[in-house]
Amino acid sequence: MRDWNTQARNRQARLARAAALARANGGKEVAAADAGALLEAVLEPGDRVCLEGNNQKQADFLARALAELNPEKVHDLHMVQSVLALPEHIDVFERGVASQLDFSFSGPQAGRLAKLVSANQIRIGAIHTYLELFGRYFVDLTPRVSLVCAQAADRAGNLYTGPNTEDTPVIVEATAFKSGIVIAQVNEILDSLPRVDIPGGWVDFVIQSPKPHYIEPLFTRDPAQISEIQVLMAMMAIKGIYAEYEVNRLNHGIGFDTAAIELLLPTYAESLGLKGKICRHWALNPHPALIPAIEAGFVESVHSFGSELGMEAYIRARPDVFFTGPDGSMRSNRALCQAAGHYACDMFIGSTLQIDLAGNSSTATLGRISGFGGAPNMGSDARGRRHASPAWLKAGREARAGRNLIPRGQKLVVQMVETFREHMQPAFVEKLDAWELAESANMDLPPVMIYGEDVTHILTEEGVANLLLCRTDEEREQAIRGVAGYTPVGLGRDRRMVENLRDRGIIRRPEDLGVDKRLATRDLLAARSVKDLVRASGGLYDPPKRFRNW
Amino acid sequence: MSSYYEASARERLHALFDRGSFHEFLPPSERVVSPHLVQLDTPAAFDDGVIVGRATLDGRPVLVAAQEGGFMGGAVGEVHGAKLVGLLERARDEKPAAVLLLVESGGVRLHEANAGLIGVSEIMRAVLALRSEGVPVVVLDGGQFGCFGGMGIVARLCDAIVMSEEGRLGLSGPEVIETTCGVEEFDSRDRALVWRTVGGKHRYLLGEADAIVADDISAFRAAAIHLLDTKPDLSLEALTAEHERLGARIEKFGALRDALDIWSALGVEKPENLPLLEADAFRAAVDGKRA
Repeated sequence: MRDWNTQARNRQARLARAAALARANGGKEVAAADAGALLEAVLEPGDRVCLEGNNQKQADFLARALAELNPEKVHDLHMVQSVLALPEHIDVFERGVASQLDFSFSGPQAGRLAKLVSANQIRIGAIHTYLELFGRYFVDLTPRVSLVCAQAADRAGNLYTGPNTEDTPVIVEATAFKSGIVIAQVNEILDSLPRVDIPGGWVDFVIQSPKPHYIEPLFTRDPAQISEIQVLMAMMAIKGIYAEYEVNRLNHGIGFDTAAIELLLPTYAESLGLKGKICRHWALNPHPALIPAIEAGFVESVHSFGSELGMEAYIRARPDVFFTGPDGSMRSNRALCQAAGHYACDMFIGSTLQIDLAGNSSTATLGRISGFGGAPNMGSDARGRRHASPAWLKAGREARAGRNLIPRGQKLVVQMVETFREHMQPAFVEKLDAWELAESANMDLPPVMIYGEDVTHILTEEGVANLLLCRTDEEREQAIRGVAGYTPVGLGRDRRMVENLRDRGIIRRPEDLGVDKRLATRDLLAARSVKDLVRASGGLYDPPKRFRNW
Repeated sequence: MSSYYEASARERLHALFDRGSFHEFLPPSERVVSPHLVQLDTPAAFDDGVIVGRATLDGRPVLVAAQEGGFMGGAVGEVHGAKLVGLLERARDEKPAAVLLLVESGGVRLHEANAGLIGVSEIMRAVLALRSEGVPVVVLDGGQFGCFGGMGIVARLCDAIVMSEEGRLGLSGPEVIETTCGVEEFDSRDRALVWRTVGGKHRYLLGEADAIVADDISAFRAAAIHLLDTKPDLSLEALTAEHERLGARIEKFGALRDALDIWSALGVEKPENLPLLEADAFRAAVDGKRA
């Protein structure tokens, strides 16, 4: 007779090996000094391990303990984690503790990751979007052991994540219900928690870390750094896209371009009479730059992937807008917010590094394997969507006009770039650097952030190209060249064709949109400094020190 | 409200003085550029980063200079320094109501350090000579690059300094202190620390800045008008009194590690709240408590 319970019995064996390390109170609490011993006891070579590395909060203490394990005892781990953010996330490979990797995003560690891949110290299974990787946690990449991170635990092992809930629920769910082992690092152990985000029954061990876990303020954009070009582009976005499509449910990228849009809502959008007509519901982290729009009454709701340092008190004071628990603090959830952004939003708008002639966009550069994160889930048409909205229907109509197709809608996916980015690098290119990276790192595919077939609009300081209205590949290429400014791609335009596209409203310049360039000054921003954001919040926003100039 | 911090030097000049009254000496059209930068194949500016001229303020004649932080952080090179010295020398002949220096400078321009150092010493001498002849020199400090190095010394040789909270005043800049003394001594990336150490509010509390205003060009204008009637006093009694005041200050605060400790010692209630206060509320909160 076949044994149908090997996983659970293996789990029991692991727990038994660690039993001596756990203290009283249900045997879940382990001393920080015993973290390495605990990991050695529960881990087996070849295990699939999820080390909670989000793009904001980090299980940094457990990451260090894992990286310091003896590779003769623990080796060949298969790491399945969404973000490689800390040096320790790479150290585990360099030291020979782990050898295989499936992940989503590696921003700050992209250079080291590329080096170790070329030295064969890391085998990458695949680079995923967040939802893909979370999905695979429940299919073929289920973690055997997960090392997660929370603000506090109680004696029973219940966890309180605080506002940065992020990936924790999805990781713990996948691990705990497939006979895996969940170890949590917490900042403090309390007798009673403000609220329970993860039930104690799903958590096996709790370690109070010597220092609070690290959180990166990733979504704070100092309005002082927004340029007048960005103000102009934000005006075009509001008048030429938000207003025309009545965009009410949306996600923004994290760049200065979209921060400019957020800061123009209470001024420019208000002057166009758009309050209550656009931008009411958001799948968005609590961007400080959104404070003036919230205060002006533009924003009805915001659901978040994670939180943002310094926004805690402001969020607590605006529970009608944010998702908060009975304790008053925010609850975020990356997996659910990604799903919301994909299916329930009418628009994604964000920036990129390179766009090719087909509208494919990529942030890949040679020598760095940076991955994707959330943009591809946000920035792609949700082909499983069935509910209608004015924005979705209008985009669908534009894409299908004159063709004998069954009616359906389409998500607006807007790429907003200045024609030249830092160091005068052109944002428009004939061939993406992603091709070269794919070749050098032996990838199956060039890493494309947003596929051209999903992009509906490209917005530059030269104008808006509406790709929905293009009918041939050639039109599409000329529409892109027609807003690519003085880049080689832009200079290579067919002038007559571009004028024709402009006559048909496929390319629109600021003057075609009725946008007065003379108004595009920083005076139009609802906040011109971080301090203005603090003022707008009534003193509730408490920015991290690095963003202050007072 | 028009931000002084965000404005360029030229925008400040045109908005701060009586409308249309500004007349520039050695304008960019004269092409008097740095001879040193050209040799180093480094871009030059047609005004060498400083604008000098005459204007009226509230109807009264003044000579004015404004440093442009956008060009090499307002650093002083040979031409830049000579324009400032020339302006101050001219004031000795013309006897305007005052000379106003809209400073924004990281100090001496390293590309032409010897010429710049000599320039700064000549500016100091010219400031003192002008003051001794009864013409007040007033400094306005609220730009993005602050006022450091040689210009920090010059500023303290003048009759009065007007600052906004965003303005900064010091000798060595935060990055220089961190580089030479270590991050434990001064973490230049801790911007809250930087501003509470060299920012306008602290300088006002220490008695180095005479006025603290909001980051608004019209607020700087009003403060400058108010200071036009300052009477320079370079008498021995005044200098002795100033030295005694500085001596007492180091005795009282020399052992304290942080501006917050000093504010506390000055008797400010809830010193941690000072950085958040707007200029008016701040002045009220520290009234009678300055060093």
